[in-house]
Amino acid sequence: MLRFPQLYKITQNAEGFNTKVFWGHCINALVHSLILFWFPMKALEHDTALASGQATDYLFVGNIVYTYVVVTVCLKAGLETTAWTKFSHLAVWGSMLIWLVFFGIYSTIWPTIPIAPDMKGQATMVLSSAHFWLGLFLVPTACLMEDVAWRAAKHTCKKTLLEEVQELETKSRVMGKAMLRDSNGKRMNERDRLLKRLSRKTPPTLFRGGSIQQCVPHGYAFSQEEHGAVTQEEIVRAYDTTKKKSRKK
Amino acid sequence: MTWSATARGAHQPDNTAFTQQRLPAWQPLLSASIALPLFFCAGLAFIGLGLGLFYSSNGIKELEYDYTGNPGTGNCSACALADQDRAPPLRCSCSWYFSLPEFFPGPVYLYYELTNFYQNNRRYSVSRDDTQLSGLPSALRHPANECAPYQRRASGLPVAPCGAIANSLFNDSFSLWHQRQPGGPYVEVPLDRTGIAWWTDCHVKFRNPPLVNGSLALAFQGTAPPPNWPRPVYELSPDPNNTGFINQDFVVWMRTAALPTFRKLYARIRQGNYSTGLPRGAYLVNITYNYPVRAFGGHKLIVFSNISWMGGKNPFLGIAYLVVGSLCILMGFVMLVVYIRYQDQNDEDEDEE
Repeated sequence: MLRFPQLYKITQNAEGFNTKVFWGHCINALVHSLILFWFPMKALEHDTALASGQATDYLFVGNIVYTYVVVTVCLKAGLETTAWTKFSHLAVWGSMLIWLVFFGIYSTIWPTIPIAPDMKGQATMVLSSAHFWLGLFLVPTACLMEDVAWRAAKHTCKKTLLEEVQELETKSRVMGKAMLRDSNGKRMNERDRLLKRLSRKTPPTLFRGGSIQQCVPHGYAFSQEEHGAVTQEEIVRAYDTTKKKSRKK
Repeated sequence: MTWSATARGAHQPDNTAFTQQRLPAWQPLLSASIALPLFFCAGLAFIGLGLGLFYSSNGIKELEYDYTGNPGTGNCSACALADQDRAPPLRCSCSWYFSLPEFFPGPVYLYYELTNFYQNNRRYSVSRDDTQLSGLPSALRHPANECAPYQRRASGLPVAPCGAIANSLFNDSFSLWHQRQPGGPYVEVPLDRTGIAWWTDCHVKFRNPPLVNGSLALAFQGTAPPPNWPRPVYELSPDPNNTGFINQDFVVWMRTAALPTFRKLYARIRQGNYSTGLPRGAYLVNITYNYPVRAFGGHKLIVFSNISWMGGKNPFLGIAYLVVGSLCILMGFVMLVVYIRYQDQNDEDEDEE
């Protein structure tokens, strides 16, 4: 953050959560709800969803819908997460797992513990039903398909500053400090960026390692020898003269 | 300027990865180059699956007959006429003659279907006492309050089994007869009435109260059947393993359905000559018409169906897979267009320098 203080602008302008974003999410949730309810409902319409031919009940449908909801919600939350730490993994996959475990336990405790008589036997029937597994594949995917497409399109076309910085950091970690292109192949050395960014609103972001100074794209002439903004060492290292200059096709 | 961490204050937080938010993290950056192949693969997989499911469902055969007996619709209208506002005369029976033009592959399952019957009505669906049904002697004569008004009879005796669900037990019965040669006699097709309810229901959830002197009738002494039942619960079937609370028809009925149009399993046809299916020929279903549905505008149907690994006939899942798969591919193409246009735009920007 110290290297790229422009990142603070994101939270100052409330770009992550404002009225527009909120209503976008609400409408999204509405569409998800329609898919999550109607798909299982129509799939289990005729009550003959088991290979043994036995009939099913309202809780069967309900448990299936609920499982899909849990899976969709966890995956959607994961999609919105920018950085997956081990706690994120625990939250997303762990939630789904905990629900399944709870479902299994809750379906077997009657009459030893006198609660939930109507859930008795549900887990066995639900998990052995082909409709459940086929729908598990289909319903969360149908819900999240649009979200994934939207995010990917937005990331390709209107990349936010945060995403650009993330890409830079990833690239540098993976390929060392001399990496000069981002994921879309744009050239990233200082001169080209300066020229390209002259007419743009966001200030140029030059990737520099080690320094925690402000992101200043230029210094006084020859300032590299006088402990200026850009050190001599970095300029030399930024231009890998052992490689041939790549020509644009 | 660099900050040095030489002097640690008393309240300075620990310098661990967790407290300083330096945990190793995976930062997924979803770009078009990742999403595109994903969409196309998923779309193709879904379309393939959808076609498979659709054909599998189309291969399931189903035969149904509405025997409600609305005027002019067949034999059962005589029984139905009696049922304007009250139950039809006991043991009114009617028949349905049909013929199968080709072999009906099996094993064949026989269902009864009711329409406009809201088993999912909230007050109806809570009107039961599972403790009583699990055979606890203490609960047998003390039905829960949710069962009201089917909790105690006018005589003051507790109702066993109590509740509206039990009271509205479906009591039509069917028998299937096959005419082997045209003009010949009808032979009864054996209907397997066992195993129609969930295993956990029959063996765990529903248990008869302990026998008194070896008799189930004595175990139920001091209780009365629900108002609409002609016989008490221990006389539901002559088979002692299938009577009382563990009677399979009763258990199947107590599993309340999700929608107003629902089916419940009545019997399987899997014994003797008919275990592989129903051969061609003329058939007769003898229906004992007891259950009144015309009062609430419902219909009663009898359904023959065969079952696959996926259950009964329902093309919805196959169609849903096809639709979602096509949408995936469509979205993939849209993203491809976006990606190519953005690349072109990018190249133009770079060439301008």
